[in-house]
Amino acid sequence: MAEDLVLDTAIRDWVLIPLSVVMVLIGILRYFVSKLMRSYQSPDAKVVKEGQVVIRARSLRAAANFIPLKSFRARRAYFSNEENGLLYVPKGQVPNAQAQMFSDPNMAMDMMKKNLSMIIPQTLTFAWVNFFFSGFVAAKIPFPLTQRFRSMLQNGIDLSTVDVSYVSSRSWYFLNLFGLRGLFSLILGEENATDDTQRMMQMSGFGFDPTKSLSAEKDSLDIVQHEWALPKFEQRAEEVLRRLVS
Amino acid sequence: MVGHEDSGASKKKSTDSSNDLPTFNAENLQNNTKIIYYSRTFLSIIGGVIAGILGYTGLTGFVFYFLIMAITSLGLAAKAKFSIHSYFDCWNRLLLDGFLGGLLSYVLFWTFAYDIVHIF
Repeated sequence: MAEDLVLDTAIRDWVLIPLSVVMVLIGILRYFVSKLMRSYQSPDAKVVKEGQVVIRARSLRAAANFIPLKSFRARRAYFSNEENGLLYVPKGQVPNAQAQMFSDPNMAMDMMKKNLSMIIPQTLTFAWVNFFFSGFVAAKIPFPLTQRFRSMLQNGIDLSTVDVSYVSSRSWYFLNLFGLRGLFSLILGEENATDDTQRMMQMSGFGFDPTKSLSAEKDSLDIVQHEWALPKFEQRAEEVLRRLVS
Repeated sequence: MVGHEDSGASKKKSTDSSNDLPTFNAENLQNNTKIIYYSRTFLSIIGGVIAGILGYTGLTGFVFYFLIMAITSLGLAAKAKFSIHSYFDCWNRLLLDGFLGGLLSYVLFWTFAYDIVHIF
């Protein structure tokens, strides 16, 4: 089963390395292009205000144990009071916010631009690979796969006796596509737009709904149990000082 | 590229020493998590190249990958002087975070090095 094919050195020089280099360069290019094309959206005052209220409520929840019980209760009532609490939004306003968000032309344009800037280079590179680099064995993957993968990995090679480990350049393209994500995150810093699968997952869960987040904050604020931590801090201070002195 | 020597030096303490209620400095925690991610990615690439040069095939290669990840965890734990709770919020984050994320990069560079050295 393992007849070792000897492959031409020219394949290595003219297929593997150029393909990888081209993909790295396209990734870098895409990163810079997306940086240049990022349009600045002037933030909506209402959205910013709601965001800040949510942040305040969140820090109250996080630091609840450092303030006395009465002041915590006062703050919580300020947020979740039924009549004029900041987090309480009447039901009638819910559909308004959603409709506005999705028909907002700026946001739709932005999303489309980001999607396009990701899809177009991939499509072009794939077409280029298929046109130039098809019909021969490109690489050997070091681990064995079952016969079912043969059609996926060896699409240009029409011999059925060749080991499944010998793959065509299309599969080399896909391997590069997924494997270079890690490399991009190292050389481009955290903010790079090449992580397409994660971003697609983010896009599907998009629906930014301010009212939903407000009511979620209100609920989580309501269930916080207050346990005042400060009485124990005297003991902590004592321990620390003891350790310093001794 | 975040250098391997530098990455450990910028870990910051995210909790106070003896706490009944642990409090975390979110920014430092995030920074430390990022360092873990960078270390794992970098080592998975290097490990891939090493595995390819050494000619590992099949299962041996995957075992080598897990070995590299274990060494990464050990190295990070040693850098944190084994007092995990002052740098991270739980053990799992240090040991298991990003474990499989480097697998694809590892396979890519493993294939690359293996082909260049052994087939061509």
